[in-house]
Amino acid sequence: MLMCRDLAEIASDYIDGELNGPRSLSVKMHLMICKDCRTFIGNLRASSNLLSAHSSGKADEEFLRRIDERVAEALSVRKNKGSDSE
Amino acid sequence: MDGKPMNNTVQPESEASLIEDLKQGDSTAYQKAVREFSPGMLAVARFYLDHSSAEEIVQDCWVTVIDAVQKFEGRSGLKTWLHRIVANRCKNRLRTANREIATDFSETLEPELANRFNSKGRWDLPPKLQFHDSADRLMENGALSDCLDKHLSALPETQRSALMLYEAHQHKSDDVCNILDVSASNLRVLLHRARQKIFLMVETFQETGEC
Ligand SMILES: [Zn+2]
Repeated sequence: MLMCRDLAEIASDYIDGELNGPRSLSVKMHLMICKDCRTFIGNLRASSNLLSAHSSGKADEEFLRRIDERVAEALSVRKNKGSDSE
Repeated sequence: MDGKPMNNTVQPESEASLIEDLKQGDSTAYQKAVREFSPGMLAVARFYLDHSSAEEIVQDCWVTVIDAVQKFEGRSGLKTWLHRIVANRCKNRLRTANREIATDFSETLEPELANRFNSKGRWDLPPKLQFHDSADRLMENGALSDCLDKHLSALPETQRSALMLYEAHQHKSDDVCNILDVSASNLRVLLHRARQKIFLMVETFQETGEC
């Protein structure tokens, strides 16, 4: 039988849907009878969502414009090199 | 299923034409690509470097892309390819700075969590609180957000990158393995170990209000 510790070991695989059918079923059965593991899985999933929310990178417009400038510069250098060799 | 926001991804056909335009050196295509991909690239870099170094790396990457894209065959998807370029640059910069603490792939549980089970494998110290707030609500807490930053920067490099690519940028496992050079099973361990650390951090924060 699946114990709480076993479940904790494969909790991320369960959350990500990486377990095979029988294994996933045994996790579901355990969760039905074990409140502590339900809390654990819920909190681990919340931690994962927290990271998604936290790390979605934002770039400000000024930074993007600086990239545009450097790209434009590099593109024109490249173009000139290209036309020299032709 | 768990309500993660989907990233705006370029559709395959339009990605192919974008790549073609980039190869042609079309500046409008570059402006579009810079807006589409820079936030993700910046986030990749931020997992390795401080803010200003990360911005610098992303700028440099775009310049190298102008030449590199000529050889890009589109096998991996533009986003994955760009993220790999950024990750490699960051790793090169860090190579001398700090040495990676190796993750023990045979241990799937963090010691701090493993200690909370009794010899029968039942919870001795179960999680006390439920993280009931949504992720967005939790992130509005500035102190928690700072705490998360602190913990993320303390993670071993590969755990941090795996988390970021998989969680924040919704890369498929295959892509993450590809970018980070790890096996699929090791990636599972990296992700799980990193999530447990974040779980433990939030738990401490909710119980004590301290990081
Ligand atoms: Zn249990």
